[in-house]
Amino acid sequence: MAEKETPPIILQFAPLNSSVDEGFWHSFSSLKLDKLGIDDSPISITGFSGPCSHPQVSNHLTLLSESLPLEEESLIGTTSHGNRNKCPVPGILYNTNTVESFNKLDKQSLLKAEAKKIWEDIQSGKALEDSSVLSRFLVISFADLKKWSFRYWFAFPALVLDPPVSLIELKPASEYFSSEEAESVSAACNDWRDSDLTTDVPFFLVSVSSDSKASIRHLKDWEACQGDHQKLLFGFYDPCHLPSNPGWPLRNYLALIRSRWNLETVWFFCYRESRGFADLNLSLVGQASVTLSSGESAETVPNSVGWELNKGKRVPRSISLANSMDPTRLAVSAVDLNLKLMRWRALPSLNLNVLSSVKCLLLGAGTLGCQVARTLMGWGIRNITFVDYGKVAMSNPVRQSLYTFEDCVGRGEFKAVAAVKSLKQIFPAMETSGVVMAIPMPGHPISSQEEDSVLGDCKRLSDLIESHDAVFLLTDTRESRWLPSLLCANANKIAINAALGFDSYMVMRHGAGPTSLSDDMQNLDINKTNTQRLGCYFCNDVVAPQDSMTDRTLDQQCTVTRPGLAPIAGALAVELLVGVLQHPHG
Amino acid sequence: MDSAREVSDGRLTVEGFSVASRAFADKWKIHNQSFPPWSWVPLINRTLLVSKKQEEGYLSLEKIIILSSLEEEIPEDESLNVATDCLEKEETVDHTILVPTMENEAHYYDFHIVYSASYKVPVLYFRGYCSGGEPLALDVIKKDVPSCSVSLLLESKWTFITQEEHPYLNRPWFKLHPCGTEDWIKLLSQSSSSSGCQMPIVLYLVSWFSVVGQVVGLRIPLEMLN
Repeated sequence: MAEKETPPIILQFAPLNSSVDEGFWHSFSSLKLDKLGIDDSPISITGFSGPCSHPQVSNHLTLLSESLPLEEESLIGTTSHGNRNKCPVPGILYNTNTVESFNKLDKQSLLKAEAKKIWEDIQSGKALEDSSVLSRFLVISFADLKKWSFRYWFAFPALVLDPPVSLIELKPASEYFSSEEAESVSAACNDWRDSDLTTDVPFFLVSVSSDSKASIRHLKDWEACQGDHQKLLFGFYDPCHLPSNPGWPLRNYLALIRSRWNLETVWFFCYRESRGFADLNLSLVGQASVTLSSGESAETVPNSVGWELNKGKRVPRSISLANSMDPTRLAVSAVDLNLKLMRWRALPSLNLNVLSSVKCLLLGAGTLGCQVARTLMGWGIRNITFVDYGKVAMSNPVRQSLYTFEDCVGRGEFKAVAAVKSLKQIFPAMETSGVVMAIPMPGHPISSQEEDSVLGDCKRLSDLIESHDAVFLLTDTRESRWLPSLLCANANKIAINAALGFDSYMVMRHGAGPTSLSDDMQNLDINKTNTQRLGCYFCNDVVAPQDSMTDRTLDQQCTVTRPGLAPIAGALAVELLVGVLQHPHG
Repeated sequence: MDSAREVSDGRLTVEGFSVASRAFADKWKIHNQSFPPWSWVPLINRTLLVSKKQEEGYLSLEKIIILSSLEEEIPEDESLNVATDCLEKEETVDHTILVPTMENEAHYYDFHIVYSASYKVPVLYFRGYCSGGEPLALDVIKKDVPSCSVSLLLESKWTFITQEEHPYLNRPWFKLHPCGTEDWIKLLSQSSSSSGCQMPIVLYLVSWFSVVGQVVGLRIPLEMLN
């Protein structure tokens, strides 16, 4: 080989990348919510690494749910030492309570502090006993537990050697070793990886004797290895897959070698695997030239680098886990799933979109109103408005399924308000509102002072009907249904009418009927639907709407009915609506 | 003590699942070396004081890497840029750090085979995520998985992918709904042997996986069925 005065090639290391499993954030959130609160002192965590196992993808330093020091026991046994793909690496987590304090963290000094720990471990010899401390890392984070988003930044402190290490040569291990040596090295590595005691020791010595027998030894046996080898390499689990660059762990490794053993030429072995076995084609052997430090005391900590880049930029990373952690979103997706299962085999032509977008107006939030609302929710209908003038009375909760005892206490909550609250408690994603208003009724005279407010109520009712798609008439008197029926007919809204007798009930729909109009009746078609209108509640009756409430006994005034009827009628009313909506002409 | 070697109704007991899982994992290790092996994760049941003879657990195959091209640009979070200024001034450029080229995005997949006590059959749970840990949505997963097998099986209505809580990890995973499993296992065993619908337990999971695995792009070599 010709000797040339070429400038030394600086050894370039491939940066290490982090990978945070979703489980880590789940566990951390629980820890923060249950135990830590606003305590932001640093937390010791354990990262997991391993040698590269794929020729095109580098391995990462991973955080899992077991990275945190949890006391509670999970259903699955915690991983103990001896897991070959989860070599533990000590680390530290600084989590802040606001995004401002996250941005203000003094990153340089945090990095320096961790680098100092590594340097001290090298000086004291602890790194020889437990070499995983060479790969110590640091994470800063901000966990937003209202939005379930996490901002974080990793640093892998690397001691900077000055002047930089230069590379003499680098080649695949299979080209460096003879075939006999290679076989022996592979076997030794596989044994090392198969034994629970050594599989998670990431830094080791490879000693090859003159008769091509290789053995793998712990770093602390370095003195013992002197003399009985022909080749002695410094091996380590290399997460990087690249053919012409070693991985990040080599940086601190070289600092250790230089500091402990004052070697100027270092032969290193980047150990990589494929399919669970040593792969000497993927693994690299290289020779580096290290300039020994002159006059450097053991106290001076070298400079350090190592903040992880995010797609090449010096910014933190962030992840949003709202979809898998926000309980409301989880509820929504579970409910949607349930509805979609109906489409799977039972009813493939079910149109769920029309159901989730329909706006329902419930006139009356009593026995019928509560049942109708509950069944509407079951069908995935989210948009419900209640109109009711009354308050929850003590006799109501047993028969009106949205109310509880608390709603009656004191002066009693307004039904429209209590119903809205109840729906949101059942399913947070409901879009509901309540209107406390009395429906103007024929046959009930009003004084002239009330005239304006009653007219206002009429207008309000009319607007409400206009702004919804389906109206349920669920009030407790005949006459209160009259004005809404009229308004619905005028606005061509779907109107479902349900009423209860003592042991009978009625559910019907107003509006366009199935038969088309004959020509001479076209003038009756005010809504231009070209169908004959069905008879409404009042058309089919013999008595005009009038005051049905005064001059009656108590049991004729209140709606006394068999309790089972309200659920039946309410449910039928909703099924009728769904049927109408699913019809092509609905 | 249940020591049946075969099942005739398409369903498995807890013990049968344990036996079938080990047989499946062993055969996989021998015949399917292009993939890493399945590992058995035991469940530690702390509520029962009596120790079970057969441990309960599930099969796990994790970190299967599928490379996909960088298609969409994920919109950048502008608020992250705030933090850079202080760092730029202090850290000098270090020439010893290799500047990485942008390579293909790696997608990682985890598969768990879990026993369902209510259906008495195994269920496949799976999830996908990026190297940063972000979970992958189902439409992204469908792009990674060979499309022909997915559509074929989904049309047959024997399989349906749903998102549900993993029974032990308490996080949403995707699963292949098990309600059709019993029926098509019976169909499989009918065609193989002449004496009714007998399915040897040791072959149960192999047969089951030969169908289910195709939905998630995991094929098994034919030798495993012997």
